[in-house]
Amino acid sequence: MKAKDYRSPLEPVWCTGCGDYGVLKGLTQALADLEIPPERLAVISGIGCSSRLPGYTRSYSFNSIHGRALPIATGLKLARPEITTIVIGGDGDGFSIGLGHLPHAIRRNPDVTYAVLDNGIYGLTKGQSSPTTEVDFKRSRGLAGPDERPLNPVLLVLSSGCGFVARTHAGNLPHVRETMRAAIRYPGFSFVHVLAGCATFQTPSYAQEIYERCDMLPEGYDPTDFAKAVEATRGERFQLGVIYRRDPEALPEGALEPAGVAGIWQPRGGGVSEDAAHEE
Amino acid sequence: MSQTPLSTTPASAAVPRGLAESHSLVMALVGSGGDGVALLGDLMLRMAAQQGLYGMMVQSYGPQIRGGESAVILRIGRQETVYEGDRTDIFLCFRLADLKRFQGAVRLHPQSVVIQEESDTGDLPEWIGRSDRETYRYPFAKIENGIEVPGDPKNMLALALLCRVLGWPAALAREAIGHRFGSRPDVLGRNLAAFDRALAAAPPPPFPIAPGTGRSLFAETGNEAIARGAITAGLRFFAGYPITPSSEIMETLIDELPLAGGCVVQAEDEIAALGMVLGASFGGVPGMTATSGPGLSLMTEMTGLSSMAELPAVIVDCQRAGPATGMPSRTEQADLYHAVFAGHGDFPRAVLGVFDVVHAREVMYKAFTLSERYQLPVLVLSDAYIAQRRQIRAPVEDSRVPPERLVWKPGMGPARFDVGGEHGVTPFRVPGNPEGTYLAAGIEHTQEGYPTADGTIHQQMNAKRFRKLEAIARDTKDWFRTLGAPHAPRGIIAWGSQYGLMKEWVAGHPEYRVFLPEILHPFPIAALDAWRKNLESAAVVEMSYQGQLHRTLAGLTDLSGVVSVTRSGGTPMKQAELERLLDERRS
Ligand SMILES: Cc1ncc(C[n+]2csc(CCOP(=O)(O)OP(=O)(O)O)c2C)c(N)n1
Ligand code: SF4
Ligand SMILES: [Mg+2]
Repeated sequence: MKAKDYRSPLEPVWCTGCGDYGVLKGLTQALADLEIPPERLAVISGIGCSSRLPGYTRSYSFNSIHGRALPIATGLKLARPEITTIVIGGDGDGFSIGLGHLPHAIRRNPDVTYAVLDNGIYGLTKGQSSPTTEVDFKRSRGLAGPDERPLNPVLLVLSSGCGFVARTHAGNLPHVRETMRAAIRYPGFSFVHVLAGCATFQTPSYAQEIYERCDMLPEGYDPTDFAKAVEATRGERFQLGVIYRRDPEALPEGALEPAGVAGIWQPRGGGVSEDAAHEE
Repeated sequence: MSQTPLSTTPASAAVPRGLAESHSLVMALVGSGGDGVALLGDLMLRMAAQQGLYGMMVQSYGPQIRGGESAVILRIGRQETVYEGDRTDIFLCFRLADLKRFQGAVRLHPQSVVIQEESDTGDLPEWIGRSDRETYRYPFAKIENGIEVPGDPKNMLALALLCRVLGWPAALAREAIGHRFGSRPDVLGRNLAAFDRALAAAPPPPFPIAPGTGRSLFAETGNEAIARGAITAGLRFFAGYPITPSSEIMETLIDELPLAGGCVVQAEDEIAALGMVLGASFGGVPGMTATSGPGLSLMTEMTGLSSMAELPAVIVDCQRAGPATGMPSRTEQADLYHAVFAGHGDFPRAVLGVFDVVHAREVMYKAFTLSERYQLPVLVLSDAYIAQRRQIRAPVEDSRVPPERLVWKPGMGPARFDVGGEHGVTPFRVPGNPEGTYLAAGIEHTQEGYPTADGTIHQQMNAKRFRKLEAIARDTKDWFRTLGAPHAPRGIIAWGSQYGLMKEWVAGHPEYRVFLPEILHPFPIAALDAWRKNLESAAVVEMSYQGQLHRTLAGLTDLSGVVSVTRSGGTPMKQAELERLLDERRS
């Protein structure tokens, strides 16, 4: 199958130049690379411009309510472990209203991939500040800037014990594709921070500045080194690539890393038995 | 107070009370946190069940959920028991000081047996009433130099004395103790020794109860019944967050759902709990969550999603008293508005009410039937009074197969949200089916599930979704119970745990008939209107400050002349209070 076979008949309503197009493209390419049958695929989101994405994929998709995609995905994955489950959301959706669910999804460690399309703004509600809006965020529309410091979502995810943490930029298609592929392949909860520009509420020069602040992780970077991973999340610049990858079988080691759940989490009872699902 | 035929006192005062065998009796056991009053009650209840007697036990704690004083009210009888009784036949108290908190819960009559701690020399409070029989005193506490030190387990001493009072065989008690402590021989030995020591003491006054059928029965709590009823009805995925008085539903399911091939998650909050349930349901697996008022409030947005995305879900609310935190361990019936109306926008849902522990299993089957068949949220309203009650019941025989969802198969045709579906129900597309991919959405959607902001489509979709509610109303038009003679001149409309009080009330008041809806929304209003023909007077009896059922019914039918007899929750209503409230509203 080709990437386009993972597209639904629906045409995106995103603004011209929106970063989310790149993610849709890179994601469908990754799905084609991995040959995941669309009927074994679930793409789940909350609400936001970015959360429209599941409507554009051919899959069992669920565009739910603001901030709540992670619990829904967790429930689905427990009930139907054979379904490849991907969560797509925005920075407001995932780091503001829905943030409370994130460390819990991480510590439960279901085999779910979570990609946050971070444009540093509330796109859908027309340009208000989000938890990742930088203090010198440049807006193209006349809203006031933030008076609060942004949070560092990648550090937060790392410190919660996530076994797979990566960052990519929506403008770098091959990298989105490669990163999503690695994240989906990872057996356990995987997190991808996608820098995605908002064509409407960011000035073009600010969007360009973000792109230019990105660096590829250096040659020889060891993603199993937790201390290095923490280091890579700091500073003004954005490191792209797999920032941290714990051996999915290994227990978190070293005093630096918080104790997480090793391996794939099993709920009480170990999952729903096959015959419980109304399947053909 | 009016006569109460099912109550404990035979009409003939000529027979000295306590010597004739009673057909039903009430015990009140009061002590401090560590006295093991609850275990004592459990053991007594188990012994009753083993003999084929019915009964129920309710527990009362202090205002804090843990620690402090505790009281157990236990009623045992030859018939199914769903009301805790009005008078105390046997009163056992380990510490008089603990009694203060339970004002009204103990009411002695002239033949009551009273057993008290020997070193408690103070008088019983006025409000408790008086017995003509001499108080029996026993040294439960071990006192050294004027202070209490650890001694024999008081509840085991009391168990022996109560066996003597009731005339129950000691072997039965030993079996019950063995059942409880069998896995820990040292503890078992200590408890049996204490039991035997008190058994050898001078016997307390007798208050014998007529024997049971000998066919053994079993006891379970309302929360256990809800959990087990759900499993029978096909539950395979549960997510919940602990909250009094519903937590034991999750606790029971942790033990029992895996045996049925299901799984349980303790979620990070109630929003996540219902979210996980919807995720499982999206995957085709029947799911449920259970909570109390505060959790139900958090689930409100998610309940609308369940209805909008047409994902079956069962939500159990064990009502407690008050808004915000309220009174967590107390009972009330004031979540009715929330269950029926809460949420933004128009959306269909069904709401069922639980009468008692036995009914709880039946209600769960009905809840899953509606939610799976109609692909919408079904709320089940239990309350603290049922949730925390342990009730003896006949063994369960339920071989029904769980209800099934209408599942889409290739070639079936209709889009996931086809507006032409019969009764508004369209075949459910379960992930895994190659041709069934679709978008489930909380956003208003076209028949394919794609987002729309078209008012005409929104109107059509609402009509589709609400057709389900019309069909449910037809399916459930006789989901109610009536009590009393059909032509009795006075009527009471009540719901939920008021069932126990109503059953007792009509038995002693032949002039009353009672209507109890099993489904609160959509309300079986035609049945109610038919039932209330030719009534001289009628009242809605409930426990909510605003009279939520009365006000809800007023929106559905002409309620003129039907009075609202209601008060806030707290302790359950008793017959004396009902009589007073009915009189007040009549005058
Ligand atoms: C409970 C609730 N509160 C508020 C909203 C309004 N709302 C919709 S999307 C959104 C924020 C979107 O920002 P983000 O998640 O970053 O997505 P983006 O549009 O930027 O992709 C808000 C506040 C809502 N839908 N639900
Ligand atoms: S507002 Fe921004 S985020 Fe939303 S679609 Fe337009 S460009 Fe994309
Ligand atoms: Mg955003």
